[in-house]
Amino acid sequence: MPAVNLRPDEIERIRTALGREPSTVELHAFDAQWSEHCSYKSSRHFLKRLPVTGENVVVGVGQDAGIVHLGTHDGERYGIVIAHESHNHPSQVVPFEGAATGVGGIVRDVLCMGAEVIGLADALRFGDTSDPRSLQSSIAEGIVEGVAAYGNAIGVPNIAGDAYALPGFDDNCLVNVIAMGIVKESEIINSYAPRGSAGWDLVLVGKATDPSGFGGASFSSVALDADDAEANKGAVQVPDPFLKNVLMRASYRVFAYLRENNVTAGFKDLGAGGIMGCSAEICSAGGYGAIIDLDDVNVAVEGMPPEVIAVGETQERLIWVLPPHVTADVLRIYNEEFTLPEIARHACAVVIGCVSNDKRYVLRHGRDIVMDVDIDFLTGTIRDELPYDRPSTTLRYARDDTKGTLRYARDDTKGTLRYARDDTKGTLPYARDDKGGDSAAGGGENLSSRASGAKRPESRDDSPHWERYDTSVRGCTVLARNVAEAGVLAPIPGSRLGVALAVAGDPTITDAYAAGEFAVREAVRKVRSVGARPIALTDCLNFGNPNNPEHLGQLVAAIDGLAAAATELGLPFVSGNVSLYNADASGNAIPPSPIVACVGVIDDVAMVVGGPSTSLRYAGDDKGGAR
Amino acid sequence: MSGRAAVLVFPGTNSEDETLRMLHAVGVDAELVHWSRGESLPEYDAYVLPGGFAYEDRIRAGAIPAHDRMLDHVIDGAQRGKLVLGICNGAQILLEAGLVPGTGEVRRPTAAFTRNAQRHFVSKHVHVRLAVDPTRSPFTALLEKNVLIPAWASHGEGRLAASDEHLREITGGAHVAFTYEGGAPNGAALDCAALVNKPGNVLAIMPHPERDGWNFNHPGHADGADPLAPSGGAIFFGGFAAALK
Repeated sequence: MPAVNLRPDEIERIRTALGREPSTVELHAFDAQWSEHCSYKSSRHFLKRLPVTGENVVVGVGQDAGIVHLGTHDGERYGIVIAHESHNHPSQVVPFEGAATGVGGIVRDVLCMGAEVIGLADALRFGDTSDPRSLQSSIAEGIVEGVAAYGNAIGVPNIAGDAYALPGFDDNCLVNVIAMGIVKESEIINSYAPRGSAGWDLVLVGKATDPSGFGGASFSSVALDADDAEANKGAVQVPDPFLKNVLMRASYRVFAYLRENNVTAGFKDLGAGGIMGCSAEICSAGGYGAIIDLDDVNVAVEGMPPEVIAVGETQERLIWVLPPHVTADVLRIYNEEFTLPEIARHACAVVIGCVSNDKRYVLRHGRDIVMDVDIDFLTGTIRDELPYDRPSTTLRYARDDTKGTLRYARDDTKGTLRYARDDTKGTLPYARDDKGGDSAAGGGENLSSRASGAKRPESRDDSPHWERYDTSVRGCTVLARNVAEAGVLAPIPGSRLGVALAVAGDPTITDAYAAGEFAVREAVRKVRSVGARPIALTDCLNFGNPNNPEHLGQLVAAIDGLAAAATELGLPFVSGNVSLYNADASGNAIPPSPIVACVGVIDDVAMVVGGPSTSLRYAGDDKGGAR
Repeated sequence: MSGRAAVLVFPGTNSEDETLRMLHAVGVDAELVHWSRGESLPEYDAYVLPGGFAYEDRIRAGAIPAHDRMLDHVIDGAQRGKLVLGICNGAQILLEAGLVPGTGEVRRPTAAFTRNAQRHFVSKHVHVRLAVDPTRSPFTALLEKNVLIPAWASHGEGRLAASDEHLREITGGAHVAFTYEGGAPNGAALDCAALVNKPGNVLAIMPHPERDGWNFNHPGHADGADPLAPSGGAIFFGGFAAALK
């Protein structure tokens, strides 16, 4: 049984609020819900510095995914749903499963907004892979296979991304994944219990709850310890893209059913904190409480302790908040039309409880009430009452303002480049993952010379890793992965509207502020280079231990860099993620890794710039891209 | 021959929507038939098996769905002359079902679309060349001789493999309907991209023509072309559409 990672003062706070000793289930629930992963307790107030509003924002930060306005077709307004997450620690421990569940999780975040999932992107940071027999090489191989296996099976094209290999990631790789969806703005489904939903059904859909992924949220919020490697494997979830493929299609059918019957519902992905985290957040966000009967949960094995059922992070699950008069029909769609129980053992849609009026979060198990807490205390308090304010003097991030020209350049002169790539050794396994090097379009650096001579030792052939990703499924692809600097889709059949997606972040930039600023500008430049108009950003901030002032300083500097560039460009962040405690065995942080994705609009895909045979309008040809 | 086509959806299929869209665009009366209503399949006049990972590619791609109840109806229809088209995973299923090349017994395959030479998934834009006389099959009847069709190869198990004896049968019977132009991206024997059965009513193609079905799909599509007009991949479906008219 994993221990909880709550601090003594946090446990004391829980005791005081409850007026009694917390139960085992409650301890695990608070452990998950108050983890950095769920609460952003270390980063939340710094994140307020990012611009998040704009005329195109339909749903801003706060729900499972952001939504920006794409355009109008046949009188309908369409939005692009976008979400961005990391799955770093799981991928270091169990690379294939960690990376695959990263894709699976981000897809659910987009799906639960009522959207059809249309595209994926990935930003990967591996350790030194120059030795094909090294652990780092096998981790890289597993990660690529995991991203490929999941995305390919569910049938969502991977259209953008990059990959770097640097020794600074030897003990802590990064797997950042971005998913994009499309939704009619009139048909968005929210991740909260709708108004007037007291008494409505809470319906759990998907894979049977099993003991995998127990302690996952908490695990991702501490530094990895090699001694715990075996134990940590149990905290990683098990992916099932086959079931997800069916779950997605069944959910699309449910979306159509709800539309036809003019029903408002709530829908949310189960991620960190499992059933407890999802049901508590969806109900508290609507201003309600919840009563859940853990005995009604479809489980994979009998006899699981209630805390594992409640908090375990089994993959491929979502929760609906449904008015009772439609519940039977929705269950029929999942269980009979799409035969979930035949797709995976004990998978199904099942009523597990209801929305309550009293703002209590109550879990029953057997004859016992195993959890009974104020729902807002569970989901919200930590954010307000445990601020991690530190004197700003301890933040050692001096941006080098004396050298105004250093912003995008790698600062080779400072001598602080512990993580700098050693070009002479050819330790970069993958040439930088876009055509930027070839076209040398304005903005970023030309990396082609640095990447030349690079080996790809972890591949059993010479093909780049992204050739393993299906980039054309769904038949909407305009610019496939790595054809140009951004991927482009025509997501609405019969419409000329296009959406572009690009990812950027350069871990060789050691100044965190510069890295943040560069990531924004580079992602935006890539989107512009295909003729698209940038409309929104997402970010994932991958940094070290927030309790270390130097690491926290890097995070804050990067946020300031992101904010400065995004503000200047007038672009909002609509979704994001923070991944902390990324460090090596000696406690050194990974290279600063703010990773940014940019979404752009193309009013007419005939005007897309890029593609192999249009030599005059080649990717990155800014003369053609300016419009 | 005239009538309606069913696009079969197995658990794990992932290319049904774009396949249906392409069929509609070329004038085929088609609809999706999910596995839970597979019993309605005899009502249809033609079958299309789209891409994906039916039953998770367990054992090997196509092996489990080839034994699914839905395939009973497809095999029955094929034997009675109904048109059957398999794309990618659908092609793997038809091969496992023994319908292509069709030189052996039903469900006793004589060849395989097996692991790519690279031993991993390959996603590449390709062109396939018509390798039989257009009159060989209703699927190819409207194509020009030796025509090139653009498509996306997106598979992990697409390499045609068979014994020398069976390869001789495949060559001798003109069962290779399309070859990869410039060499197979997966190491396939005979550079084979598509197989057709002896009567010509069952065709199995590994790459996806429907993913290069519109001008906007086509890499480097010409300036000024209507992005929403059908492109080269749509041509592939013309014979099928005409045969169902």
